[in-house]
Amino acid sequence: MSWWLGLLLSFLSTLAYCTLFNVPVRALLAGGLTGAIGWLVYNAISPYGMNATIATFLAATTVSLCSQFLSIYLRVPSTNFSVAGIIPLVPGSVAYRSMLAFVEGNYLNGITLATQTCLLAGAIAAGLMLGISIFSVWKGLVARNAGKRAKTN
Amino acid sequence: MDTCLLAGEIILKNGGETYRAEETMALIARAAGMDNVNSFVTPTCLIMSYRCMDKDYTRMIRTPSRTIDLHKVTLVNDVSRKFVSGKMTLAQAYRKLQEIDRKKPIYPWWLQNLAAGIASGAFIVLIGATWFDILPTVFAGIIVNVSVYYLEAYLRVKIFTEFLAAFLGGMVVFLLYRLFPHLHLDLMIIGTMLPLFPGIAVTNSLRDLMAGDLMAGVSRGVEAVLTALSVAAATAIILSMAR
Repeated sequence: MSWWLGLLLSFLSTLAYCTLFNVPVRALLAGGLTGAIGWLVYNAISPYGMNATIATFLAATTVSLCSQFLSIYLRVPSTNFSVAGIIPLVPGSVAYRSMLAFVEGNYLNGITLATQTCLLAGAIAAGLMLGISIFSVWKGLVARNAGKRAKTN
Repeated sequence: MDTCLLAGEIILKNGGETYRAEETMALIARAAGMDNVNSFVTPTCLIMSYRCMDKDYTRMIRTPSRTIDLHKVTLVNDVSRKFVSGKMTLAQAYRKLQEIDRKKPIYPWWLQNLAAGIASGAFIVLIGATWFDILPTVFAGIIVNVSVYYLEAYLRVKIFTEFLAAFLGGMVVFLLYRLFPHLHLDLMIIGTMLPLFPGIAVTNSLRDLMAGDLMAGVSRGVEAVLTALSVAAATAIILSMAR
């Protein structure tokens, strides 16, 4: 699959998910863009021998940062973007294979895959958190600098 | 008081974060000139108290049903910002909030269902399905979304609703797979379950935890886990049929 097709599909998927959550019209395209960027980061990293968990983590961080910036730019809550933005990163196939293994009575394999699913979900969660933390630190720095500047003037 | 509680209720009911509801309520009350403002919000109830002219006021409301409508959250956010900055009077804000509360979703019903289908279809191609798999998955995704909507009115138990919806969607995919064996059952099932993915619950639970609302964060996290479990159970049943 060529990368532009993937970009288009992730954009479309995220956009549709935004619609499902009644995201305001003016934030729809930005929401789709967030998902596409997340997918792009994931696929730009993972071919270079990077662990899928770490790639997911970095992609989720990017999604979170993007949605924070967009929330300031468009003046809507950042949930609008981050909720749908993580959709292309959802570990659907690992979760599925884990269930399949359980159903087939292959418990050891099932537990391995379930753990992997949990790790991937945790990576998404941690990435989102890291994005929020980075952003709040940055915002704090900006506020402090603005305060200093105001004093010196 | 009514304005604060209504604002908080709308945010909470429509999938806003807990800390956003708390903050909005406190900001409105403070802007209206109340002292000692405190608000406490969990996913199922809102408590608010303040002091005005040496008298204490406290009120609490429950939020029985929760849906997801981020547009309303955004609108309430705008109203509170306008009120706090003084561009709106209290009466105006209250009227505006009531208007928001009555609003219907901005996207028509069929478009939302179609969107669920498209989300499913686009997602499975993303993880490697062929173009033939799209149509059944779009169909099944729509079925899942429609059945969640209808079953919720009858069942009242959210976990069971999601389980049944996932099961129905899975059955559709499974039957189509039996008719056309060259489709990919695995990818189609993954795509079908996508509209049930608890995205809001996961994101909000994290943001609540980050904001220090431990109780709200944990309870939303549990909500997400329950949804995931019910979907997993439905998938397991479908798979054991497919063997």
